[in-house]
Amino acid sequence: MKDRTCRFATGAGWVLALVVVVGAACGDRQEVAFPGRAIEIVSWATPGGPSDLLARALAAEAPPHFDGQRVTVSTRQGGAGAVGMQYLTRRAGDPHVLGVFTASGTVNIATGRIPFDPGDFTPILRIQVDPFLVAVRDESPFRTLNGLFEAATAAPGSVSVSGFGAASAHSLGFARLRGAAGSPDIRWIAYEGSGDAVVAALGGHTDAVHTNYNIVREHLRAGTMRVLATALPLHALPRTPSYADEGFDLTPAHWRGVVGPPDLPPALRDDLRRRLLATIETPGFREYMERAAMEYAVMDGPESFGAWMAGEVATSRELLAGLGLVGE
Amino acid sequence: MADFLSGLLSVLTPGSLLSILAGSVLGVFAGAVPGLSSTVGLALVLPVTFALDPAPALLMMISLYMAAEYGGSITAVAIGVPGSSPALATTFDGYPMTRRGEVGRALGISLFSSMSGGLLGTILLVAALAPLARAAIAFGPAEFFGLGVFGLAIVANLVGKDPLKGIVSALLGLTAFVVGLDVLTGAPRLTFGSSLLMDGLALVPMLIGFFAIAEALESIASGRRRTRRLAGAGSGFPRLRELLGLWPSILRGSAIGGLIGVIPGAGATIASIVAWNEERRVAKRPERFGQGEPAGIAAPEAANNACVGAAMIPLLALGIPGSASAAVLLGGLTVQGVAPGPLLMTERAGLVYALYAGFFIAVATMFAVGRLGIPLWVRVVAIRPAILMPMIVAVSLIGATALRGNPADAWAALFFGIIGFALLRRGYPLAPAVLGLILGPMIETNYRRALTLSSGSHAVFAENPICLILLVFGLLSFAAPMVRNRLGRQRATP
Repeated sequence: MKDRTCRFATGAGWVLALVVVVGAACGDRQEVAFPGRAIEIVSWATPGGPSDLLARALAAEAPPHFDGQRVTVSTRQGGAGAVGMQYLTRRAGDPHVLGVFTASGTVNIATGRIPFDPGDFTPILRIQVDPFLVAVRDESPFRTLNGLFEAATAAPGSVSVSGFGAASAHSLGFARLRGAAGSPDIRWIAYEGSGDAVVAALGGHTDAVHTNYNIVREHLRAGTMRVLATALPLHALPRTPSYADEGFDLTPAHWRGVVGPPDLPPALRDDLRRRLLATIETPGFREYMERAAMEYAVMDGPESFGAWMAGEVATSRELLAGLGLVGE
Repeated sequence: MADFLSGLLSVLTPGSLLSILAGSVLGVFAGAVPGLSSTVGLALVLPVTFALDPAPALLMMISLYMAAEYGGSITAVAIGVPGSSPALATTFDGYPMTRRGEVGRALGISLFSSMSGGLLGTILLVAALAPLARAAIAFGPAEFFGLGVFGLAIVANLVGKDPLKGIVSALLGLTAFVVGLDVLTGAPRLTFGSSLLMDGLALVPMLIGFFAIAEALESIASGRRRTRRLAGAGSGFPRLRELLGLWPSILRGSAIGGLIGVIPGAGATIASIVAWNEERRVAKRPERFGQGEPAGIAAPEAANNACVGAAMIPLLALGIPGSASAAVLLGGLTVQGVAPGPLLMTERAGLVYALYAGFFIAVATMFAVGRLGIPLWVRVVAIRPAILMPMIVAVSLIGATALRGNPADAWAALFFGIIGFALLRRGYPLAPAVLGLILGPMIETNYRRALTLSSGSHAVFAENPICLILLVFGLLSFAAPMVRNRLGRQRATP
């Protein structure tokens, strides 16, 4: 009897020890693996620009949701984003390095300028859209979006619209709108930056500007510019018609989100997504969204965000081909 | 009045004054280190400002911006390497003066002119914010084209003894700017299929290559000991009388800096080169320019600091950044919940007045910090080139990658270094190539934009008065030195 009890106790002891060891090992791996050190958010856009500010707002609000780890932003510009993307793809499987991905990224991929594909990254979370709109200076004769298109149809080539870039998210956004309006002959005047494009419209050098809400917000408030229509209905501009109100069934938008390096295990990807979702719900992040005039447009996981990015590349490619701008 | 007082009071707090001091010290440093610039400096302190209140945050950034424009001239004067691109024109006369053994005098003139230019630019900002902002938006594609051509015509005065070599150098710069994505069509040009060349050849690696690396190679190759103990001889700060005597140059330089600085996208580099050229043009003895002429330091330095206040005009009044540095500033303002634009003056008057007051204090602090630093720089110049140049090359290469984090920029600097060395050996001047790289994009894209808007009619350039004036003056300033040369030769050989 005593012998049996003893053997049972020994056996139970071994089992318990095994459970503890295995449990500890599992627990250890889970905890040491992530987040085991500081998180780096890579931005391949201009410092101080909207993508950089998104990265910095995330970095400021994230630490409590990443077990108190430091979150830093690193700028890696060059090659139309290729330098930053390459840095990210070289960190396969490492959840401590994230990148801010934007509509410019999918357009640059579609042009064939950069040797990457949305599939080279782990899609984690789309966070915001930066709504497009068409605005004119206050003195402009144009009152409505359809008025602008009608003038262009009546006198082909007489209407010009300025905006950022030639094969950019901005130019393609406008190309989609123009296509929906029956492709009136409007000259797209490309500028190096959105601010320069607004100056061109403000100075009367172009008839209108196609840009983001945050760039012209102060001019709309001051009455120095008027908005003809916005791509999406904006809560800040309740009386302004959207493209849909004007009869165009499309909502082109400039968007930004977070991707991880390739080959992130699904468990880590979901963990990152949960932590980032908590981050963008903090009051500090909400305040940033409000100040920067961005709209929440959350889309998560590989099924939705990833598939959607692939779709964006395909749409951009078609538009670029239509404009005769597709690269080799 | 209440706003003005509250603005002034928010500047006179210990926190704000400390921010200005920190910004000034960092700014002089960021300006002086080749590769770093006001833009890099601002990007580096941007996260720091998030933790501050709007007034100190803004003050730290503007004092950094201001001080960096002076800082750039320190290396330009002391070792002939522009610390940042707006200091390029300062090397033309600043470095020759140093080689005469008068580094203290050159730095003193630069500092005093920077301070005066900064002050005048600030007065312009305070006095004429709204009207100048309206004038700035009148600058369209045709006007930009005219300004670019006008600026490029300056190569005629940079070519040295052999005009042909100068023109070859300028054409080299004009070819280099083509590399990258075409702004108007997005098509890659001269990228040879490499994604690293997609964003084009940047100015900073070219400056580092041409002025730091090529010079280092040249001094190795020629084995000459350039500095025969330069320090000591002329390390003294110039007398107040000499400085005050430079007022016409400072005034002209500040006016040019103020006008060009207001135009979004024109920039301090162009302003300072135009100011140097203008000073040479009005001088009684233009042949002394490039040999260490005090006015040749005073005008460009006044111009690039006047640009700081002027660049704030489109930023504050229109919400449009007029320079790369102003773009970073705009980012900092956005985070602080300050939205620059037409309503800023009515809604945030207190902050705007704090900014105005801060600018004046920042200029004074820059002077103090700069003045204290001069003995240090004088000693740096005394280091033997064999030791100093490799250090400068190393620091510049790190600096070259600081802004974009792109290792290709360091390779580009080395590449330009070798090209620059080859050009120097054969007596080609390097400044025209830099001018070509800076002005090429402005000329080309605006030429094409103007033609797109005019349906291909070139009449647009003649019908636009500002453009026409700039083109005519450009042509005159390009032709004048050659005509003068010819006449001189005919007179010499009757």
